[in-house]
Amino acid sequence: MLVSPAIPDRKTRERKTACTHLSADRRPIQMYQYDTFDRQFVNERVSHYRAQTERYLAGELKEDEFLQLRLRNGLYVQRLAPMLRVAVPYGTLNSTQLRQLAFIARNFDRGYGHLSTRQNVQFNWPLLEEVPDILAALAEVDMHAIQTSGSCIRNVTTDQFAGVARDEWLDPRPFCEIIRQWSTSHPEFDWLPRKFKIAITGARQDRAAIAVHDIGLKVYQADGRTLFDVFVGGGLGRTPVIAEQIRSGLSVEHLLTYLEAIMRVYNRYGRRDNKYKARIKILVRAMTAEGFQARVDEEWAHLKDGPSTLTAEEIERMHTHFLPRDYPAQAPVDLDAQRLANPAFSRWVEQNVVPHRASGYAAVTLSTKLTGVPPGDVSDTQMAAVADWADDYGFGEIRISHEQNFVLPDVPEAKLLELWERALAAQLAAPNAGLISDIICCPGGDYCSLANAKSIPVAEAIQIALGDLDYQHDLGPIDLNISGCMNACGHHHVGHIGILGVDKKGSEFYQISLGGHAGHGELPASLGQIVGPSVARDEVVEIIEKILATYVALREEGETFLACFQRTGIEPFKERIYGTA
Amino acid sequence: MALLNRNGEVIEPSSISDGANPAGGLAITPLAQWTPERGEGLLLEPTDEPEAAHTRAPLIAINFPAFSDGRGLSLAVLLRTRYGFEGELRAVGDVHPDVIHYMKRCGFDTFQMPEGRKLPPAANDANGDGARGNGASTLAPYSDYYQASVIHPEPAYRRVRRGA
Repeated sequence: MLVSPAIPDRKTRERKTACTHLSADRRPIQMYQYDTFDRQFVNERVSHYRAQTERYLAGELKEDEFLQLRLRNGLYVQRLAPMLRVAVPYGTLNSTQLRQLAFIARNFDRGYGHLSTRQNVQFNWPLLEEVPDILAALAEVDMHAIQTSGSCIRNVTTDQFAGVARDEWLDPRPFCEIIRQWSTSHPEFDWLPRKFKIAITGARQDRAAIAVHDIGLKVYQADGRTLFDVFVGGGLGRTPVIAEQIRSGLSVEHLLTYLEAIMRVYNRYGRRDNKYKARIKILVRAMTAEGFQARVDEEWAHLKDGPSTLTAEEIERMHTHFLPRDYPAQAPVDLDAQRLANPAFSRWVEQNVVPHRASGYAAVTLSTKLTGVPPGDVSDTQMAAVADWADDYGFGEIRISHEQNFVLPDVPEAKLLELWERALAAQLAAPNAGLISDIICCPGGDYCSLANAKSIPVAEAIQIALGDLDYQHDLGPIDLNISGCMNACGHHHVGHIGILGVDKKGSEFYQISLGGHAGHGELPASLGQIVGPSVARDEVVEIIEKILATYVALREEGETFLACFQRTGIEPFKERIYGTA
Repeated sequence: MALLNRNGEVIEPSSISDGANPAGGLAITPLAQWTPERGEGLLLEPTDEPEAAHTRAPLIAINFPAFSDGRGLSLAVLLRTRYGFEGELRAVGDVHPDVIHYMKRCGFDTFQMPEGRKLPPAANDANGDGARGNGASTLAPYSDYYQASVIHPEPAYRRVRRGA
C-alpha cells in the first residue's frame, strides 16, 4: 500500500498561493482548446453543482435525489470516503492541467491521485463539501468532472498514442471531441437505463478496446471520405459480451444523428427494472443484433440529414485543433551506443518506448506499476514531475493510457536517456509496459464498497513473486488484469490472465481465467476462459506461477503467451495446474 | 401538487389527472381509454408508443415513474419533432426540479410536481444574478447548450461562432 501522508490542515491551506503555475506561458499545443462557449458552460456547471451541494447540506435535497446529481458530477461515496473522478477527455492533458491535478491532490486529497482504466484521474479522499471548490479549480484549467459517473454518456476513450502512432489510419481525437460536446448535458440522453461508454480507434491495432464498449467506433478513410464502422453492445461486467457490428462505412457527417438513433432506441427500450440487465448489451442480445440494427435504422431514417448533421465547417474546426504538428528536426543520437553502455536504460527503451510517426521522436510510457504501489496511483510530486518533463521533452502534452500509465507522446530520441534518468529518480521508470507486472487493477476491497475482494494486495503479491525482470522479459507481453468483483473495472475478462475477486461463504476467493484479450493487431477481442475452481488469496501466486511455467514449457520459438494459449487451448493449462490428466 | 410553467411560476391547473371531470377541468385519460373524438387530455406511460393520432389531444401528460427515468424525455421529443404535437405537454409523476431543465429542452411546457416537493428558494440562484430567483436558476442553469434540442433545433455549431 502507498503510505499516505496526513491530510493537510484544510483550514490553513492558502488558495491564493497555490495556483502560481497557472500564470506560466501557455504554448500552443496540439489538443482541443476551449473557447468562451466551453468555458461558460463549465463555469455554469460549477455554479449549478455548488448550489445543488448547498441544498443537500441544508437538507433540501434527499440522499437519493442528491445521489443522481453528484454522480453526474463525478462524485461517488465509497467505502472510506467520497471519490471524485475527473474527466480527462480521451486521455489527453496538457502540463498546466496536470500541475493543477497535482495541486488538487496536495490540497484537497492526501497527496496522490489514481489513473483509471478509462483514462481518467480519481481522487480518493475529497470532502463532499469541498468538491465544488475542486470543480472550480478544474474549471480554471479547462477541466471538469461532468458525466464521469451515473447513468449517462461517459468520457469517450481512445488510443493513448492517437496522433503519433505509426499504425494509425486517422486521428480519432477530433471525433472524440465532437462526441464529448454532443453528449455533455444532452437533453434526452442524460437519464439512461445505465452508464454508457463510447470508444474510438483509428489505428490498425485497436488500443482502445472498442469491442468491449457500449458503442465502439472504428474510423478510417476510403476514397477521400471519412467513414466509421459502428459496433454496439460490447462490455465487461457480469455479462461480458463482444460488441456486434451494426453499420459499416457510416459517413462522418452522419456520426451524431446515427448515435442519436442508437441512444434513443436504448433510452426507450433498455431495461430499467434490474440494474444488472440494464446495459445496452442486454437489449442488443434480446432484440438480436439484426433486430437492433433494424430498429436503429428505422429511427435514423427520421434523423438523418437533420440539424444534428455535422457541417463541413464543424469537422474542419475540430481538425484544426489536432493538426499534425511540425516536428523540428532533431540532432542525430547514437541510441544504440547509449543502450549498449547502459543495460537498464536499454531494457526500458525496449519495453516502454514505441516508434513515432516523426523520425527522431518516440512515444514513451511512464509506468505506474512499481512493486509496492497500487497500480495507477501517482503522487502529487510525480504528477508535477511528469508535467515538467512534458514541457522539457515534448510539447507540453501528456496522455493517460487505459493500462493506467502516463504517456509522453513526443519525446526526441536524443532526450530519452535524460528523461529515463529523471523518471528513474521519480519512480516512474519501471521497464514493464506490456509485461506481466504492468497489471491493470481496480481499487478493489481496500477502497470500493462494491468489491467482493481486495485486488491491490493480489497485484502486489504477483509483482513481488515475479520480481525478476529478466524472467518477465523472457515471458514477453502478458496482460494480467485484476477485478475485485464482477463489475469488472479491472477488465479481467480481457486479460491474457484474468483474476476476479469473488465472495465464497463470506471469504475472499479468486477466479482465474486465461486467453482473454482486448483486441490485438487484426484480431477481434475475446473473453477469457475460467481455468478452474476459485482459490484463496494466498494460493493465487502459486497458480499464476504454474500458468507461466506451463506457457514456458509449451511455447514454440517466438510464440507469445496469447498465441501459445490460442494454439493449445485451455486443457494443457488445466492439467498442469490441477494435475488432472 | 404544484403545477409550474416553464419559468417556475405556479399556475392554475386547467386539468386534473384522475379522469374525473370537475367544472372547468380537463380530463386526462390513459391511452387505453382515450379516443381522439372526446377532446380529452391524453396520459402516456413511458412504455406507450406515440402516434400521429395522439396529436389531436389538447394536452398530453407524460408520466415519469421515477425522476431518474429518462424514457419520457424521448417520448416528448418524438411527439414534438416527429408527430408535430403543438398542444400543452405536461410532465407528471416523480417530477423533480433538477430534471426540469432537461424536460424544457425536450419540449415540455408544464410540470406537475408531487406533494411535498418544492422549487429551491431564491437564495439558491446558481448564477448569482438575482434576476433568476424563485428557483429559476435550477430551471435555467445554463445560458446555452452544445447540442440541438426541441427548443433549440440547431446545435451550437450551427448557431454560434466557435473558436478555432
